[in-house]
Amino acid sequence: MLDLQLESSRQLMQRRLNWLVAPLVLIFVLLGMRLWWLQILQGPEYTRLAEKNRIRSIQVVAPRGPILDRNRLPLAENRPSINIALDREVMKNPDATAAFVTGMLGIPPEEFADKLRRSRRTGAYQPIVIREDADIRDVSIVEAHKREYPEILLTRVPRRLYHYGNLASHVLGYVREVSEGDLESNTFPGAKRGDLVGKFGVERAYNQCLTGLDGAREVLVDSLGRELGTVAEKEAVIGGDLQLTLDYDLQVTAETLLAGKVGAIVAMDPRNGEILAMAGAPSFNPNSLSTRITAEEWNAILNDPDHPLQNRAIQNSYPPGSIFKLVIAEAGLGEDMVDENTSVVCRGSAVFYNNLFHCWKPSGHGYVNLENAIAQSCNVFFYTLGQRLGIEKIVQHAKALGFGERTGVDLPGETAGVLPGGAPWYPGETISVSIGQGQISATPLQVLRAVSALATGGTVVTPHLLLRAERGSDGTGSWPVQQIPIQPESLQRIRAGMWASVNSSGTSHGTAIPGFDICGKTGTVQIIGAERKRTLKSDLSAFENHAWFAGFASRDVPEIAMVVFIEHGGGGGAAAAPLAKEMFQTYFDKKYSEELLTRVSGTAGGREVR
Amino acid sequence: MRLDRRMALSFDWLWFLSLLLLSAAGLTAIWSTTQGTGLSDYLGRQAIYICLSLLVFMVLLYFDYHVYSDYVSIAYLAGLLVLVLVLVIGRTVNANRSWLSLGFFAFQPSELMKVLVICFLAKYYAEIDRDTLEVRDLVTGGLITAIPMALVMLQGDLGTAVTFLPIYAGLSFLGGLKRKHILVLLLATAVILPAGWIMLKDYQKGRIQTVLNPSSDPQGMGYQPKQSKIAIGSGGFLGKGFKQGTQGQLGFLPARHTDFVFAVISEERGFLGSISLLGLFLFVLFRLLRAGREAKDKIGAMIPMGVFSLFLFHVVINAGMNMGLLPIAGIPLPFVSAGGSSLLSFFAGMGLAMNVSMRRFVN
Repeated sequence: MLDLQLESSRQLMQRRLNWLVAPLVLIFVLLGMRLWWLQILQGPEYTRLAEKNRIRSIQVVAPRGPILDRNRLPLAENRPSINIALDREVMKNPDATAAFVTGMLGIPPEEFADKLRRSRRTGAYQPIVIREDADIRDVSIVEAHKREYPEILLTRVPRRLYHYGNLASHVLGYVREVSEGDLESNTFPGAKRGDLVGKFGVERAYNQCLTGLDGAREVLVDSLGRELGTVAEKEAVIGGDLQLTLDYDLQVTAETLLAGKVGAIVAMDPRNGEILAMAGAPSFNPNSLSTRITAEEWNAILNDPDHPLQNRAIQNSYPPGSIFKLVIAEAGLGEDMVDENTSVVCRGSAVFYNNLFHCWKPSGHGYVNLENAIAQSCNVFFYTLGQRLGIEKIVQHAKALGFGERTGVDLPGETAGVLPGGAPWYPGETISVSIGQGQISATPLQVLRAVSALATGGTVVTPHLLLRAERGSDGTGSWPVQQIPIQPESLQRIRAGMWASVNSSGTSHGTAIPGFDICGKTGTVQIIGAERKRTLKSDLSAFENHAWFAGFASRDVPEIAMVVFIEHGGGGGAAAAPLAKEMFQTYFDKKYSEELLTRVSGTAGGREVR
Repeated sequence: MRLDRRMALSFDWLWFLSLLLLSAAGLTAIWSTTQGTGLSDYLGRQAIYICLSLLVFMVLLYFDYHVYSDYVSIAYLAGLLVLVLVLVIGRTVNANRSWLSLGFFAFQPSELMKVLVICFLAKYYAEIDRDTLEVRDLVTGGLITAIPMALVMLQGDLGTAVTFLPIYAGLSFLGGLKRKHILVLLLATAVILPAGWIMLKDYQKGRIQTVLNPSSDPQGMGYQPKQSKIAIGSGGFLGKGFKQGTQGQLGFLPARHTDFVFAVISEERGFLGSISLLGLFLFVLFRLLRAGREAKDKIGAMIPMGVFSLFLFHVVINAGMNMGLLPIAGIPLPFVSAGGSSLLSFFAGMGLAMNVSMRRFVN
C-alpha cells in the first residue's frame, strides 16, 4: 500500500516534470528565432552599424579666409588653438568627469552643467567644447590624465585673429558659433551646429567667401575613442581671400583721431564708392567677441551706454545740420531759384511765419550770395531759399542725393535715416529743415555719399568695402551708380562755396592744407536751444552740439571724400574740421610718397605688402 | 553510499561533456576579449575556477545525496550566518556589498546560498507526505527562500536576489500546487510587481524602460542593449572569427567577459556558434528534467528540479538580455560568464543533480 502510494506520487511528479517539456522547447525556439532574426535577417544592417561604431569621422575645421586691406595687408587671419572637449559617449562615470573638469581644469560647475544641458539635443558622438583656446597649463593637465579621463579630448582648431584688435572692428565684424535660430532660418546655408559664422561686418556680409570647406578624417577607434589608425583623410580647404577697399594707414589715422571720442570718420573714393577708411568710436575688440563668451560678458557690452557695437557710420542717423545746406543749394540751383545775382541780407536773424529764426552769427553776415552763404554757413540765406523751395522740392532733391534710403553698402544693419514728411507739416518746420535741423536725419555715410555726388558731377555711387573676393557669389561685381541731373555750372558754384569754406576763412578753415584744393562744409547740430542751455545749470555734455564735417579733395580732380562726425563734439569747425585735415594729410602724404617712390625706383605699383 | 563500479557506469558522460564544452566556450570568449587588455588575468583565474569547481563537483558526486540532505539544515543556517557576516564585513564591488574576502580570494556567498536553498527546500518539500502542498507548506517554503533572498537584497544585489524566486516557484510546482494557490500566487505577483517597481532604483527602472522602448535613449540607458544587439547581429551566420569581433575587441560591448559574453560568442562564432550554445543549454536542461523524472525518491526529483529552475532562469534572462529582449540584470550565463562564485555554485548544483541521476537504480 505504501509502495503503491509512493509509486503514484512518483508518477504524479513525473507528469508534472513532463509538463515542463513543451514550455521549455517553446522558450528555446523563441530564443533561436530571435538569433535568426538578429544574425541572419538583420545581419547586414547590424554589420553596417558595427562598422559605423568602429570608424569615426573626425571633423577637421577649415580656417576662414583672411581679410586684407586694399594693399593686401592682412587685417584678420587665423591662429592655431586648442579646445578642450568632452566626449559623452566615452564618459563612464559622469561624477568623476565632472569632478575633474571643475576641479583640475577649474571650469565653474554651473558653467559645465549649463554646457551639458545645452548639448542634450546634439548627438553624443559629437564632443562638447568645454574650454576654448586652452592655455598650456590646461593642455598639460589633460595630457597627464589622458588614461584616467579618455573622454576629455584636445582638439586643434583654427581661431580667428584680428591682428590690430579694435582697428576697423565695425567693418570687420566678428565670428561666433552659429545660433539655433540661424540654423532654423538657414541664414548661413551649409552651416552645421558648432560652426563659426560671421555675425557682423564683412565677416557676416561675405561669410560665404570666407568660409572654408571642412575636411574629415576617418579613423579606426575603440570604444574609448582612442584612435588606432587613419582609414581615410580629406583635407580642409581654407576660405577665400577677402580684399577690402580699406587703406590701413587711413584707417589707423581715423581711429587715432577718434580716440576718446564718440563718432565716426569715413573716407571714400568719390569716383567709384570704394571706402578707404571707416572708423567708429567707441569700438570693440573682435578677438574677445569671437570666443564663446558668457551671457554676462555679452550683457556688459550690450548695456554699455556708448554702444561700442554700433557702427555709427551706417547704423545711427543724426540731423545733418548745416551740411544739409549743400542739398538746399543744389535744389535751389536745380530749380532755377538761385542765379548769379541772388543775394540775401543777413541781420543775424529773420522772421518766418511769425517766428524768429536765428543765424549762428548774431551780428549777421550782411549781403550774402550762394558761395558766401556756403562758405560762411549763413542760416538766413538758406532759411529764405528753403522757404522758397518748399518742403516737397527739398525732399525730392535730398532723395536724389541719397537721403532717406540705404546706401547699399556691403555691411549688415544699415539704417535709412529720416526724411521730412508726414502730416501735419507746419511751414515753420521747413525753415528748420533748410539748415538740417528738425525732422531730418542721415547716417555719416549718407552725408558722405551726397557730398561725393556734388564732388564728382552728380554721380551717386554705392559705397562699398569689397575690392576683390576670391570666392563666393555674394555681392561681388557691379555697384549701382545713379546720375542726378545737375548743371556743371551749378556744381561749380557749390564747389566754389565749399572751397571758400576751407580756404577763404570760412567755417571749415580748420581743414585747410596749403597747396591742396580741399573743399568742405561743416555742420553743427543743436541738441537744445541756446536759451534753454543758458538756464540749465547742470552738466551740459549730454546737450553739447554734434559736430560735422564733410568734404573732398581736390576741387578739380576729386579723388577722396571725407565725413567726420563727432557726437556732442561741439562746433563742426572746431571739433570736426581739424580731424578731416589730418585725414587729408595722411592721404596726400601717402599718395605723394608712393608716387615719388615709383618714380625713383621705376617700378609700378605701390608699397610692398607688409 | 559511496561510489561503486555500477554507478561509475551510469555516469552521464554526455551531460558532463556538455558542461565542459560550455566552460570551454566561456574560456575561449574570455581569452578573446581579455588578452592584451587590462583584464588579462581573468583568463588564468577562470581556468583555476574551473579546476576548483570540477574538484568540488567530483567530491559532491562521490557521496550519496542523502548524506548531504542529512546535514543541509545546518549548512543552510551556516549560509544565513555567512550572509549576515557579509553585510557586516563584506567588500563593496560596483555598489553591491556582496563580496566576502578570504585573503587572496574574494567570494560571493550569495551564489552558493542558492544551492543551499535548493537542497534545503527540496528536503523540506520532500518530507511532506502529500501530493499537493498546503498553505503552511508554501509559507514555510517561502520563508526558506525569502530569508536569504532578503539578506542578498540588503547587500544591494537585486539581480542575484531575484534568482531565488525561480527555485521557490519550480520546487513548489513539483511539490504540487493547488489551482487556487496558483491563482493566489499570481495575484500576489500582480500586487508585488508594481510595489517592486516603486522600490526599484532609477537606473533599474531605466533598464526596464529601455527594453520596452529601445530607441528611447540610445546613448544613455539603451547603450548596452544596443551595442549587444549590434555585436550579435553583425556576427552573421559564420561569425567574424576568434579575436576578430570589432564590438567586443574595440570595447563597444560592456562587461564583455561577464554579462555580455553571449554577445561576444555570437559575434565571433556567428549564428552557428550561438545556436550551438543554446543547444548545449537545452540539452543540459533536458538532462536535468530526466534526472528528476528518473529519481528514485521525492528528494531525488526535487534537487534536479531546483537546479533546472535556477539554470533555466539564468540562461533565459542572460541570453534574453544579450538579445535585447529583457532588461539588463547582472545575472551571469551559467558556466560561460567569467566569475568563480557562479561557476562553483552551478558545478555544485549540477554535481548534486548528477548525483541523483547516477544513483537512480541503486537502493
